[in-house]
Amino acid sequence: MTERFTEATGTSLIGGTEQRASRSLLALLLPIALIGAVLALVPLWLGDSRVQMGVAVVGLAFACYTIGFNLIFGSTGQLFLCVGALAGIGGYGGAILADTVGLPVIVSIVAATLAASLVGGLLSWIAVRRSLGVIFTGIITLIFALAFENLLLGLGGVSGGESGFPISSGADSFLRRQIPPYYVMLGLVLVFLLAHGLLRRSHVGWAFRALRDDEVAAELAGVDVARYRVYAALIGAAMLGMAGATYAFTEGRISPTTFGFAQVDVVVIVMLAFGGIGTLFGPILGAITFTAIDEVLIEFGQLRVLVYGILIILLFLWIPRGVIPTLQALFRRRRRL
Amino acid sequence: MLQVRGLTAGYQGGEVIRDVDFHVDSGEAVMIIGSNGAGKTTLFRSVLGLLTPSSGAVLFEGADIVGQPAQRIARLGISFVPAERRLFPRMTVQENLSLGAYPDRPDPETVELVMDLFPRLAERRRQHAGTMSGGEQQMLAMGRALMAKPRLLVLDEPTTGLAPKLAAEAYRALGVLRGRGLTVLVAEQQVPLAMALSDRGYVLENGVIELEGTSEALSKNPDVRRSYLGVT
Amino acid sequence: MIASVLDGIVLGLQFGLLAAGLTLVYGLGGVLNLAYGQMAVISAMATLFAIDAGVPALPAVGIGLAVGVVLGLVFDRTILRPIYRIQGEARVLLSLLLTLGVAFIVDGYLTWRYPTEGLTLRIGGGPIEILGVPMRRGSIVASAITLVALGALFAFFRGTTLGRAVRSVIEDEEGARLVGIDPQRMLRIILALSGLLAALVAVTQSMVRPVTVSAGFGITVFALIVTVVGGLGSVTGAMLAGIILGIVNNIAASYIGTFLSLIILLGAAAVTILIRPSGLLGVRE
Repeated sequence: MTERFTEATGTSLIGGTEQRASRSLLALLLPIALIGAVLALVPLWLGDSRVQMGVAVVGLAFACYTIGFNLIFGSTGQLFLCVGALAGIGGYGGAILADTVGLPVIVSIVAATLAASLVGGLLSWIAVRRSLGVIFTGIITLIFALAFENLLLGLGGVSGGESGFPISSGADSFLRRQIPPYYVMLGLVLVFLLAHGLLRRSHVGWAFRALRDDEVAAELAGVDVARYRVYAALIGAAMLGMAGATYAFTEGRISPTTFGFAQVDVVVIVMLAFGGIGTLFGPILGAITFTAIDEVLIEFGQLRVLVYGILIILLFLWIPRGVIPTLQALFRRRRRL
Repeated sequence: MLQVRGLTAGYQGGEVIRDVDFHVDSGEAVMIIGSNGAGKTTLFRSVLGLLTPSSGAVLFEGADIVGQPAQRIARLGISFVPAERRLFPRMTVQENLSLGAYPDRPDPETVELVMDLFPRLAERRRQHAGTMSGGEQQMLAMGRALMAKPRLLVLDEPTTGLAPKLAAEAYRALGVLRGRGLTVLVAEQQVPLAMALSDRGYVLENGVIELEGTSEALSKNPDVRRSYLGVT
Repeated sequence: MIASVLDGIVLGLQFGLLAAGLTLVYGLGGVLNLAYGQMAVISAMATLFAIDAGVPALPAVGIGLAVGVVLGLVFDRTILRPIYRIQGEARVLLSLLLTLGVAFIVDGYLTWRYPTEGLTLRIGGGPIEILGVPMRRGSIVASAITLVALGALFAFFRGTTLGRAVRSVIEDEEGARLVGIDPQRMLRIILALSGLLAALVAVTQSMVRPVTVSAGFGITVFALIVTVVGGLGSVTGAMLAGIILGIVNNIAASYIGTFLSLIILLGAAAVTILIRPSGLLGVRE
């Protein structure tokens, strides 16, 4: 799909360029450390307001979601429209295991992460086995997302239904305080970035790039497309689940809208498209930008949805590749001159 | 009637045919022969508006039709039967044929002509095109092209995948149509049938016209005999 | 039980007509219109405003339908322009994203500006008995209109040259071009038709229950489910799937509850995609 888009329009939907200049680990660690350092300073600025810190934590959670989605869609072209649902498996799974079943918080998070990972892997496996193209993968995962949301609403006894699930486990731990959750989520973001970065440099990353650019050629070159797709889904979904679970415990209360399609998936897609699908740092850029924009839009109330609509259209018409690849292209042109 | 000058075309910036010149006069039957991949299909698609050529002129009855979309060219009096036939699989033979006359309603006389030429179609009026055999589909494709009452009929490898008997039937029909004054342009890999039908021919190889002449002259040409007529 | 089935058929006919609009646009133009529900809502609002302004019911409905047609044409002229330049899978994706954007714009504006509005067309008169079950007059009228519309649709596609021309583009776009049919023009006609269908369904739905401003996305989701199960590109498939899913939905809803019955519908769609991706009667790629 992506090659045809490229042929027809001269641009590419997925634009991550590989750093051919330096394959050293430092080239990966340095930017991540830098980002970590800068973001670590945020509480100095916003730390006084519980509300603002809450927004920041949400922003980081979305950064995690976007990294996970980037891994699944950006790396292997699988359009998973169930990002919210997979995070929700993590969130609700963790909450139910901790509160209802009584497991320790850490164990609950790990178990929920595994559950999300397996579901993601299963979805990918199904899509691969049935040779579902991008569109049908999207539709199937969308169906899953909607079904999951309705499951949460319908099984009120287990999930708390529409009113939500107040999580009592970990209520007195550091996770519910004002500042520590921020650093916990930031830790996750950095770990995910590192994981993605390392993956890209490994033979797995090479396989991802090969199958994303030309599936047939990749198969001929010996890449087991099916297997790598499922790997990407397993890892990406694990990230989503872990982020969802961790976020749930820091929030203390989750509801179906915390992980809904309109609330999560749409935003994640916009964030990733803005930053640059397939790039390493695109998700971070997108998450920061749109968390900030969202804060501004709070004033508008319902009109936020309208503004999002306008943004989606402008984004996909003007900078379909995303900010980072567009900048990279500009940079290359400047260098040539 | 049809004049092609300096036609160059290809896909994705590449060139498949280069600087092709040929013409078809009213009432003639002209063949374009060449091996697989020579560029015959690309040539026809560029002439008939399915592909935009990078340069060249295509004049039909004096008017330049280069760059016009296929649907407009189809209404000028040229009908094209592509190699893939492009029938409407879930529509009946009847419906396929009547659409051939679009935007006009099907002319009963033309329908009768098609049925006379291809009796097999008459038997299968209500059959869905997708369920017919290769040979029947080819006949339907030709029939549909005729419904528009074209002045020029262009066919791209009409005998592909056809048993020899059916291929001969197809060309017999073309012969009858010629007798009624239809101008025919046909691209073929299976040369003998085309040669029997045509007055003149062009040899297209590697995207360029290598040879041209009357059918008779070509049939005596040793290279042609070796490459296309299987004579050693 | 019979009441559920009959109600289900009523619902299903509406589903089917709705999905027909969506599936035609996909089959013809390879475009997935996620703003479809919003088109229906806008038409319903137009009818509502007309009625509020004193226009009698029937002409008001006419206005709503006309608005639907215009919306379809506007779509063709604006949002779909950039999409037409691409082919194939990338086109479906881009259409998905851009129409989603439009859906958000419309939904956001309407729910902000008119949060409590909804169209309701009250059909006077007592209940009519069908098979021993008293059915609301509104449901019967809605179903009757839907059936007439379906009949007209059928007649159009089978019996008119234009209708056949449209079908031919769905069957084989290049083949259609070769007989002189302009796919762009056909798509424009189909888009106008899909707008009309969306408006018609909105108006007839309002005879059964209020069509609110926020109903947009729900309508799109239902249309999408029925379209997928019936097969992308097949109107008959959409009808069949609509009726089946309408009945399933109602029976499930009365025994299990609304949320879980939606899951069953979604499950049906998922199962169809997995077993038979082209749907019940879809166009095979």
